[in-house]
Amino acid sequence: MSEATTKQEREAALEGMGCSKKRKEDARFIQGTGRYTDDIKLPGMLYADMVRSPYAHARIKSINKDEALALPGVIAVLTAEDLKPLSLHWMPTLAGDVQAVLADEKVHFQYQEVAVVIAEDRYIAADAVDLVQVEYEELPPLVDAHKAMDPDAPILREDLVGKMEGAHSVRKHDNHIFNWQAGDKDATDRVFDHADVVVSQDMYYHRVHPCPLETCGSVASFDKVNGHLTVYLTSQAPHVVRTVVSMLSGIPESKVRIVSPDIGGGFGNKVGIYPGYVCAIVASIVLGVPVKWVEDRMENLSTTAFARDYHMTGEIAADSNGIIKALRVNVLADHGAFDACADPSKFPAGLMHICTGSYDVPVAHVNVDGVYTNKAPGGVAYRCSFRVTEAVYVIERTMDVLAQKLNIDKAEIRRRNFVKAEQFPYDTCLGWQLDSGDYHTALDKVLDAVDYPALRKEQEEKRAKGELMGIGLVTFTEIVGAGPSRNCDILGVGMFDSAEIRVHPTGSVMARMGTITQGQGHQTTYAQIIASELGITSDEISIEEGDTDTAPYGLGTYGSRSTPVGGAATAVAARKIQAKARKIAAHLLEVSEDDLDWEVDRFKVKGVPGQEKTMKEIAWAAYNNVPEGMEPGLEAVDYYDPPNFTYPYGVYLCVVDIDKHTGETHVRRFYALDDCGTRINPMIIDGQIHGGLNEGFAVAMGQELPFDKQGNLLGNTLMDYFVPTFVETPHWETDYTVTPSPHHPIGAKGVAESPHVGSIPCFTSAVVDAFSHLGITHMDMPHNAYRVWQQIQELELTE
Amino acid sequence: MQVDLDKEFSLPGSVSKGWTFLQNIPGVASCMPGAEITEEIDESNFKGKVKAKIGPATMAFNGDIVIKNIDPDKKELHLVGKGQDTKGTSSATMDLTAWIVDGDDGNAALKGQAAVIVTGKAASLGGRMMTQVADQILNQFGKNFANNIAAMGDTEEAEQAKEALLEEPKELNGLAFAWSVFVGWIKSLFGKKATS
Repeated sequence: MSEATTKQEREAALEGMGCSKKRKEDARFIQGTGRYTDDIKLPGMLYADMVRSPYAHARIKSINKDEALALPGVIAVLTAEDLKPLSLHWMPTLAGDVQAVLADEKVHFQYQEVAVVIAEDRYIAADAVDLVQVEYEELPPLVDAHKAMDPDAPILREDLVGKMEGAHSVRKHDNHIFNWQAGDKDATDRVFDHADVVVSQDMYYHRVHPCPLETCGSVASFDKVNGHLTVYLTSQAPHVVRTVVSMLSGIPESKVRIVSPDIGGGFGNKVGIYPGYVCAIVASIVLGVPVKWVEDRMENLSTTAFARDYHMTGEIAADSNGIIKALRVNVLADHGAFDACADPSKFPAGLMHICTGSYDVPVAHVNVDGVYTNKAPGGVAYRCSFRVTEAVYVIERTMDVLAQKLNIDKAEIRRRNFVKAEQFPYDTCLGWQLDSGDYHTALDKVLDAVDYPALRKEQEEKRAKGELMGIGLVTFTEIVGAGPSRNCDILGVGMFDSAEIRVHPTGSVMARMGTITQGQGHQTTYAQIIASELGITSDEISIEEGDTDTAPYGLGTYGSRSTPVGGAATAVAARKIQAKARKIAAHLLEVSEDDLDWEVDRFKVKGVPGQEKTMKEIAWAAYNNVPEGMEPGLEAVDYYDPPNFTYPYGVYLCVVDIDKHTGETHVRRFYALDDCGTRINPMIIDGQIHGGLNEGFAVAMGQELPFDKQGNLLGNTLMDYFVPTFVETPHWETDYTVTPSPHHPIGAKGVAESPHVGSIPCFTSAVVDAFSHLGITHMDMPHNAYRVWQQIQELELTE
Repeated sequence: MQVDLDKEFSLPGSVSKGWTFLQNIPGVASCMPGAEITEEIDESNFKGKVKAKIGPATMAFNGDIVIKNIDPDKKELHLVGKGQDTKGTSSATMDLTAWIVDGDDGNAALKGQAAVIVTGKAASLGGRMMTQVADQILNQFGKNFANNIAAMGDTEEAEQAKEALLEEPKELNGLAFAWSVFVGWIKSLFGKKATS
C-alpha cells in the first residue's frame, strides 16, 4: 500500500471537512429522545398561562382576579400593578425601545399579555385565564402603517409622548420610531434627475412569522437558599439572555444559568426576550419554586416575533443599455407596538443597505422610516440576516422591472451589471466590502443547466396559445456572519463568537461554543472542522452548546453567523492547539519545530520516514511529558471578532405554470445554485438549502399574518397559516460553485439562509413573468391561488 | 372584522302589527336565535345575553343593548348592542336600524341594515365564515319575527305560528346551523361566479 493511499485513508477516516457525514444529532431526534424545554419537568413545578387582550387598542379600566384566585389550584394572578414594585412591568428591547411585560393601563395589540396566571397544572391555569375579568375601553386602532404619521392618527405610545429624541433619530410624530438613512442622497437624486431611464416599483413585503415547530417557552427555577437562578429557555442567544436577565433582576451574572436545550427550529423567532419568560422568572423568584411557561401555537403566531412588514419602493436610474447609474430605496417599516427588532444596535432597519445586491452600483440612497402600529412587536430576521431578505427582494424585483422596461432579458441585464470577479474585494457605495464572488460563472452554469433559451422559446409558444408560464430569475448576494464588533453589537456586546476546545489525554475532544444549534447540525459540522484541523476523528469529538455555565460567551446562532463566526473561532482555537502540539511533537522527536511537517493526523520529521508523532500520542504526552517551561494540558479558547461579514451568493431559477381558471401556481422546476465558500458537509448544506427553499416557498406562496381594520389578526392558526408539507413542496435541484471567503480561516461563508433570501423574490419573479407580456411589472405576495386568480380576472384572461 | 348586512323579510301581517312588535324590545331580542333580554334597566337600556354553539365551541356573550331612537313616523328602530364573551377573549358590536314598510298584498315587510363588528378570537378563528354566519342568524331572526307577527290574534294560523315559535331552539345550535351556513357559503360562491 502506497504512502499516498494511506494518507487518503487516514484522511477519510477523520470524516472531516468536505465529508457528507450523517448528522450526529439525528439519532436522538428520530428516536424521540431529544430534550426540549417543554420536556423539562422539575419537582414542585408550577405552570403559567396568559390572559390576553381581545382588542388591538384599548384602555384597561379594571382587572378582577377574584374568581380566578378562588379556583382550586390557582397560586397567583399577576398584573402590571404587581410587577411595578419590582420595576419589571416594562422591559428594554434589543432595539433601544421598551416593551410592556404585562399591559400597563393600555393594550397596544391584539393578544397582548394582560395578566399571568400561575397554577398547579397547565389545565387549571388555562381555566383560570377565562375567569380573570378585564374591563376594557376600546380605542381607535391604528393598523395601516401609511396612516401612522397622519396628524389625526391615534397616538399609541402614551409613555413616549413628548419624547421626540428616539433611540436612533429624532422622531417626527408620536407614532414615529426612527428615520434611518444610508448613502448619498444628493448625489443619488442628481443622477436620477438626468438619467436616460428611471424605473420605480412599490412593493409590500407582507407580515409573516417564522412558525418553528416548537413554540417559545421557558422553565425558570430560583433557588432561594443560594440565590441561583436557572432558566431553561428556547433561546438562539442564551448568553445574551443571561446578561439581560442579570441586568433586569439584579442577580449577579455568575448566579444566572441559562440553558438552551434541544430547540425545535428558531428561524429568528427565538432571539428575543418575551414577556412569558420574564413572568416565569419573576414568579419563580417570588414563589421559590420552578415555573414553566410554554406558549401555544396561536400565541406563537400572534405575539412572539413576526418578520418583515416593509412597504418598499425600489427605484433604479440607468442608461439605455440597462447599466445601473443609481439606486434609491424608500421604506415604510411597520415595527408594531414596541420596537423589538433584533438587529445590531446601530442598524434599526437591519442590514437593509446591502440592497445594492450583486451589482456594480455607483451611487445609492436608502431611507427607512419606522412607525408604531397596533400590531405585535418583533421584526425578526426570519431565516435571514437582519432584513437581508427585504433588501434582496427590493433590488431583485426592481432589476426585473428595469429589464422589462428596456425589453432586455432579465438574465442579460444582470450579467451587464454584475460586480466582476476581478473587482473583489468590492466596496459597495453603501459601505460594505463584498469579500469574494464570481457571479458570471454562477449565472452561466445555471442558464446552461436549465437550457434557458429553450425555456424562453417554450414560454413564447405557450403565450401564443394563451397559456401562462413564468420564468423567475434571481442573482442574490447575502451578507451574513454578524459581525465585526466595530459595526455590530447587541446591547453593547460586540458580535464576536467563541470556541473552547479541550483535547483529553486519550486524544478525544470536548468542544464548547457560544453559538447554539437548532437544526443546523453543529454537533456534526464543528466536529468536522476540528477533525480536519487536529487530525482526530470527528466521532471522537463531542460538541456542547447552550449551557451558559459551561460554554464560553457567545452571541448565539442567527443571521447565518455560526459558521462565519463560531466556525472561525473553532478553526482558530484548533490551530492554537495544533501549534502547541507541534512544540510537544518537536520535544518528543527531539527536533526543531521547523523540521516538522503536518500530515492529516500527525507531525512527521522532514526527510526521515517513520519519525512521526500522531495527535493521539501528542495528546497523551501533553499530560505527562511537555517541554520544560510549558504548562501541561492541550486546550485552547478563541474569541473571534470577524474582520468582515461573509457574502454568500447564488443564482436561482424557477419555472411556473399557472392555471388561468383556478389561479393555482405549479412550480415545475426550481434550480438553486449556491456559493457558500468552503463546504464543510455537503449533505448538511443540501439539507439546509432544501429547508430554506421550503420556507421561501412558504412565504412567497402562502404565509401571511393579515389584519382587519379593527386590528384582529385573521391568520394565527395552522388552519390558515401555510406550512408546506411534502404534498405542496416542489422538487428542488441544487448546484454549487466554491469561492472561498478570503478572510475566513477556512474560507466558509454560511449557507442556511441564502435559499430563503434568494428563493422568495425568485417565486415572485416567476409568477410576475407569467403575466409580464401583459404589462404586469409586480404582484405582491403571497401568490396564493386566490390572489393570482384575482390578477387573471383583472386582466380578463378567461371568457 | 366588520360585516355589513342589508336584509328584507316579508311579514304575514299589516304594517301596524309589524310596528307594534318592533317596539317590543324583549320580543324582538327573542327572535335572535340564542338571545334573550335578561334585564330591563329603563325603557331604552337593556341587558341581554347570546349563546352560540357551533361544533365543539360554545361562546356566551353578555352585553348591553341601547335603544338609540324610536321613530314612529318612519316606523324605525335604531339600536346598538355591545357584548363581550364571558371568557373575555372576544367581543361583538351590532349597530342595527330596522324599519317597517309596505309589502306585497297589503302585508308589511321588515327591512334592516346592520353593521356587525367582531374582535378577538371569534374574529381570528371565525372571520372567514362571519358573513355567512351573520346572514344565517338574520334569516332565522326574520323567520321568527314573521312568526311573531303571524302569532298575533286567535286564528288557526296564529296558533300554528305560536307552536313554531315554541319549537325554535333556545340557542344557536348544532349541525343544522353549520349546514345552513355551509349551504349559504356554497351558494355565495356560485352566486359570485354567475354575476362576474
